[in-house]
Amino acid sequence: MADAAVHGHEHEDERDFFTRWFMSTNHKDIGILYLLVGGLTGFISVAFTIYMRMELMEPGVQFMCMEGARLTAATVENCTPNGHLWNVLITAHGVLMMFFVVIPALFGGFGNYFMPLQIGAPDMAFPRLNNLSFWMYAAGTSLAVASVFAPGGNDQLGSGVGWVLYPPLSTNEGGMSMDLAIFAVHLSGASSILGAINMITTFLNMRAPGMTLFKVPLFSWSIFVTSWLILLALPVLAGAITMLLTDRNFGTTFFDPSGGGDPILYQHILWFFGHPEVYIVILPGFGIISHVIATFSKKPIFGYLPMVWAIIAIGALGFVVWAHHMYTVGMSLTQQSYFMLATMVIAVPTGVKIFSWIATMWGGSIEFKTPMLWAIGFVFMFTVGGVTGIVLSQAGVDRAYHDTYYVVAHFHYVMAIAAAFAIFAGCYFYVPKMTGRMYPEWAGKLHFWVFFIGTNITFFPQHFLGRQGMPRRYIDYPEAFAYWNYWSSMGAFLSFASFLFFIGVMAYTVFAGRKINAANPWNEWADTLEWTLPSPPPEHTFEILPKQEDWDKGPAH
Amino acid sequence: MPYHWNDAKSGSEELSLWPHRSMSAKGFVLFMGATMVLWSLPLISVAGTVAFWWMLPFVLMTIALLWWLIQRNYRDGQLTETLRISSRETSLHRVNPRGPAQDWACNTHWVSVHMREDNKYLPHYVTLKGAGREVEIGAFLSEDERLELYDELMERFAAAKSNP
Repeated sequence: MADAAVHGHEHEDERDFFTRWFMSTNHKDIGILYLLVGGLTGFISVAFTIYMRMELMEPGVQFMCMEGARLTAATVENCTPNGHLWNVLITAHGVLMMFFVVIPALFGGFGNYFMPLQIGAPDMAFPRLNNLSFWMYAAGTSLAVASVFAPGGNDQLGSGVGWVLYPPLSTNEGGMSMDLAIFAVHLSGASSILGAINMITTFLNMRAPGMTLFKVPLFSWSIFVTSWLILLALPVLAGAITMLLTDRNFGTTFFDPSGGGDPILYQHILWFFGHPEVYIVILPGFGIISHVIATFSKKPIFGYLPMVWAIIAIGALGFVVWAHHMYTVGMSLTQQSYFMLATMVIAVPTGVKIFSWIATMWGGSIEFKTPMLWAIGFVFMFTVGGVTGIVLSQAGVDRAYHDTYYVVAHFHYVMAIAAAFAIFAGCYFYVPKMTGRMYPEWAGKLHFWVFFIGTNITFFPQHFLGRQGMPRRYIDYPEAFAYWNYWSSMGAFLSFASFLFFIGVMAYTVFAGRKINAANPWNEWADTLEWTLPSPPPEHTFEILPKQEDWDKGPAH
Repeated sequence: MPYHWNDAKSGSEELSLWPHRSMSAKGFVLFMGATMVLWSLPLISVAGTVAFWWMLPFVLMTIALLWWLIQRNYRDGQLTETLRISSRETSLHRVNPRGPAQDWACNTHWVSVHMREDNKYLPHYVTLKGAGREVEIGAFLSEDERLELYDELMERFAAAKSNP
């Protein structure tokens, strides 16, 4: 029999630094680790883009020379363009951002930290598996960064095949860099699958008593649907890149027509994974934004139930629209019509979400604190990107826009920058909870405005460039495109400056920010369970199940 | 409520306690069913190509892992405590998810119910004392449930002792 023992002594946090951060099984610590490593990888990936924007600022090649990559502009006679370096940088930017930055930050970081808290679970269902997920992600990140510096194609370092790793480019690329990148994606996939199973089990089986599925907070719902997408999409990707690996190393010809293979098959499989992947990126952002908007409009979220069903519908539809990424590969008219209509249908649940956010703000007592600014920025950026998405969904129109900067502008607005806005909204909204310290309000607002203006100057002119016919993925362009490329680069530098400022703001907040001694620094509309805990929360939370009146405020949230 | 009194047998009372799990067995079937249906989509879309055989093992591995881990989570929740009170003897049987079951028994007359408040992390910690041991009961219940359990235990033991 379990003899009575006074539990409680083990609650003292006696772990030393190494035990706490390297052997952690605590969901809150692992969440912070995800955020830190994701942020660091994000910095590397953003630094690559800044170098790329420096190169694109003026026509001609001034920085990426065969004579050596430089940080100051070279004259024409001193610089032979090095297209391989350019290709390596766009590939690395894509691979890192898609697999190692945004998903770890939103899903791994905020998901790990706040999903168990919102549903009143003491920890994740499998804490040690959680630790394994994190370290597989860290190992994958190291491999991905290593692939940039490993011997690759064209007798240079790194591989420049694009993040989609299309054959025959990816199967013909020399060196081991490509293999490292494939292993990196494998590891990240395994880590995501384990993490997703963990989240699903936690969500389904460890909700507080009385918390039925349609009383779960929206952020937790978004994490659950994201996990489900990961579970369904990642094994497919694992199959595809394993076939790439054998094509490269063991002489198989799955994607090589000379041996009876089909490179288009790879595109189908890749995008069957790839389209859900972009929803995996953005869905947790939807969740965070819903909470921020409700809190600072001082109203419960408008239409909780439609919001949940919209998340589910977006996730489900994400699986049946993949070929809109590849209208130009020679599909039949019927196939193209189907994928076009299915794609447009996604606008319906997405519209439900956007209108519900607006309706939440409507008639609310809006307080323009920093997280709210980011949330409104998110709705704006996401809507702009969504509208260009409708334009691109038309197979006929896509013939003109395919592989132009219009597409680059579209997906950066709708997925990349929108996700960044959601991450920043989450950082400012939750940093008082995670650290017990408040960020300086003026600094958060300054960061927002500079980043908002910077990213719009960067990406809005790219619509013009795309309409003028400037193709993606080239190191150079004719002089006719110079004007808007100059502005785009200026915007990128401005955004980068605000990113550096953000790192400073967060460092200041963590180490020297004003202490708050409140469980809830915002207002009574931040009414999910995490706001009932002290800030920062103790090592162990909800060992005693929360009572229904702690979280059930009537109108669901 | 994760505990339940069963008074069917005359002369003795039975109490079962178990930790909270929010998904029913039916929920598990629905979730796995929906997941399988969704998984068939990518497999059908590559049916007839060699890619099918390369995706199948990864999908099957994920299904197996998902199934096994959710079941394991259920198993971890299979901790139960059963308390039998008769006028002569009281016994407590605890089934642990991993590790052997544990038993405690005592003459009902000498059983005393305690609620300890000396632990700030586990208020209303309910224990039974008797036969030289103090054993916990329902430590996994929520705070309110432990308060209720304490009152009910006091009542039932008082009744059992006064009714030899």
